[in-house]
Amino acid sequence: MKAYRSILAVLLATTFSTSAMAANVVKIAITGPFSGGSAPMGVSMRDGAKLAIAGINQNGGINVGGKRMKIEIVERDDEGKNDRGALVAQEISSMGDISAVIGTVNTGVALTGDKYYVEKGIVKIITPAAGSASMTQWSNAGTRNLPIFRFAAYDGIQARMVVEQAIKMGCLRVAILHDATNYGVSGRDDLLRQINNQGGRVKVVTVEKFAIGDKDMTAQLLKAKAAGAQAILIWGIGPELAAVASGKQKLGFRVPMIGGWTLSMSNFIDTAGAAGNGVLMPQTFIEDESIARAKPFIQAYHKAYGVTRIPSPVSAAQGYDAALLLAEAIHEAGSTNPSGIRESLENLKVAVKGCIADWKKPWSKWDPSKVETHEAFRRENTVMGKVQNGHVVLANPADKIVLQGKMLNK
Amino acid sequence: MNLDFLALAQMAVSGGLMGMAYALVAYGFQLTHAAGKAVNFGQGELVMLGAFTGLSLSGCGLPYWAAVTGAMIAGALLGWFVERTAVRLALQQHNEGWVLLTIIVGLFWFSAAENIWGREDKPFPVPWPESALDFFGISVTWQELAVAAGALGMMTLIELARRYTMIGIAVQAVSADQDAAELCGIRSRTAISLSWAVSGIAAAFAGTIIGPVTTVGPTMAAALTLKAFSVAVVAGLGSSFGLLLVGVALGASENISGFLLGSGWREAPALILLIVGLALRPQGLFGKKIIRKV
Repeated sequence: MKAYRSILAVLLATTFSTSAMAANVVKIAITGPFSGGSAPMGVSMRDGAKLAIAGINQNGGINVGGKRMKIEIVERDDEGKNDRGALVAQEISSMGDISAVIGTVNTGVALTGDKYYVEKGIVKIITPAAGSASMTQWSNAGTRNLPIFRFAAYDGIQARMVVEQAIKMGCLRVAILHDATNYGVSGRDDLLRQINNQGGRVKVVTVEKFAIGDKDMTAQLLKAKAAGAQAILIWGIGPELAAVASGKQKLGFRVPMIGGWTLSMSNFIDTAGAAGNGVLMPQTFIEDESIARAKPFIQAYHKAYGVTRIPSPVSAAQGYDAALLLAEAIHEAGSTNPSGIRESLENLKVAVKGCIADWKKPWSKWDPSKVETHEAFRRENTVMGKVQNGHVVLANPADKIVLQGKMLNK
Repeated sequence: MNLDFLALAQMAVSGGLMGMAYALVAYGFQLTHAAGKAVNFGQGELVMLGAFTGLSLSGCGLPYWAAVTGAMIAGALLGWFVERTAVRLALQQHNEGWVLLTIIVGLFWFSAAENIWGREDKPFPVPWPESALDFFGISVTWQELAVAAGALGMMTLIELARRYTMIGIAVQAVSADQDAAELCGIRSRTAISLSWAVSGIAAAFAGTIIGPVTTVGPTMAAALTLKAFSVAVVAGLGSSFGLLLVGVALGASENISGFLLGSGWREAPALILLIVGLALRPQGLFGKKIIRKV
């Protein structure tokens, strides 16, 4: 009996001490695939965001209504799986003391999980998932006071850039390849929509899909080749993209391969090897230290995590800037209350100097008929990247000015 | 039409070459079935572990051949371990528990691999060029050729050892009649252990030759056990030549059905082959009918 009593006392003491501590911290959850095929993006996003948060905490934390509060991070691995992502979202939204969430790489995870945050009104900044559906699901439903924001060049922008690039290269007969996930299918639809917008200029000769885990893409590529495709427009993730690049090389099918930003994933670049050279994809950030704005972030990331190459530079940079924006919003809201944070994210007063751009009011009040109100990126923030010997470089060196400049959003 | 034919031929050749890997894994089934009348339903996981071991060793700076040899040694140990832990006791008690036990050990390997090496698919570096060769419009990569040559070479070596070395003949004696072999002074337990170790070598070696094509990850061989088992059953558990033919046919038909019906139907032929094979010739296409005298 005595023993029980002392255990109870210890338990009570710890409960009170954690709640006492909790009053002085802001809890932010970071979710994403930290294992599996999408891990390079998830891990980089997490590490980028943590770098920003570590910097903020080092300076004493966020000033919330005159009180300095440090940020505490809750991490959850959704493994890139839709069902697991739903569980993670359920868990975080029921914790009760989470102020905001940063994360999600896989569009399907956003589709299955984000409803829990919306129900509870918890603020979430989606980054780096790019699939259009993760925002259009809310505009289609006509949701009001949406707490979900996106901080990534969404596929509508990316698909437009990919199609424009194909036209610029004179490839007017294209094959579309995509994976069977929500991301791949919504990417295919975005591509078809953009091709439609171009009038009859570009002809789609074949649309082929592949599954996660497929290693042999010979069948899809042979069909594209037989149909006379002059370029392959592709939406998928690293391992399967690499299988397509190797298959192309094997068949001697030398046409440009242009696709979503996932072509910059390290597991694509490493697995494809020489077969990946010349592949083109939209990027919001390039790991190039000659870009003055990017240099401090790149060096800090390399130093903090002991790497010489960021697994997914775009994810890392977006995670970093998203965390800075979120911290600013909490400061401006003057409270850790999610609905206050949502309102100040929609109406940020101070421009945040990030490693991608100076963010001045990136989002505005949610309007279900205009999905752009909760999208931070525009076509002008985004450049074409190219794989070259294991690195992503600018496809068009003149674009450096886009990433360099103090370009303000809106 | 000509292009279509060429495309089909391309699919058949690529599939057929990879089918040699199925034959090699199926050969592992044959070895243990001949000696001890049991097979390892976790054989695919041994393939995967072989690939990971090879990858880790070459990551330590060892040359490709040394890494492959290391993987084969690991395969031998793993094969021996499976027999010792999952099969021997069940067979001594004359029950079929080894079926479940080998699956369980396989699941254990899978979890272990996930924890040791992670869930990501990793590329397997090889010394030969990445480029492709062209035969009358059909492209073949060096990796695919290596799979075919490796599978053929490994099967030939083991088969020669089985037929022409003293130990090989002893193992054959045990598979023909265990009691009679024991009376001649052959330790049947050792012979069975040996055949499991050799089967493990074949699996691990298969991992190191298909790894460069499929990349290496815990799920790389998930479907392989079933496919190789189909090959072994359809060819018959007695003929190594039959395995090659059925393996190549299965690989080719997989690719062709994927091409004609869509990639979702790729896995169908293996299952249809197994069902039809079992229904029409339960002893296998190349197997001999077993007549049991009572």
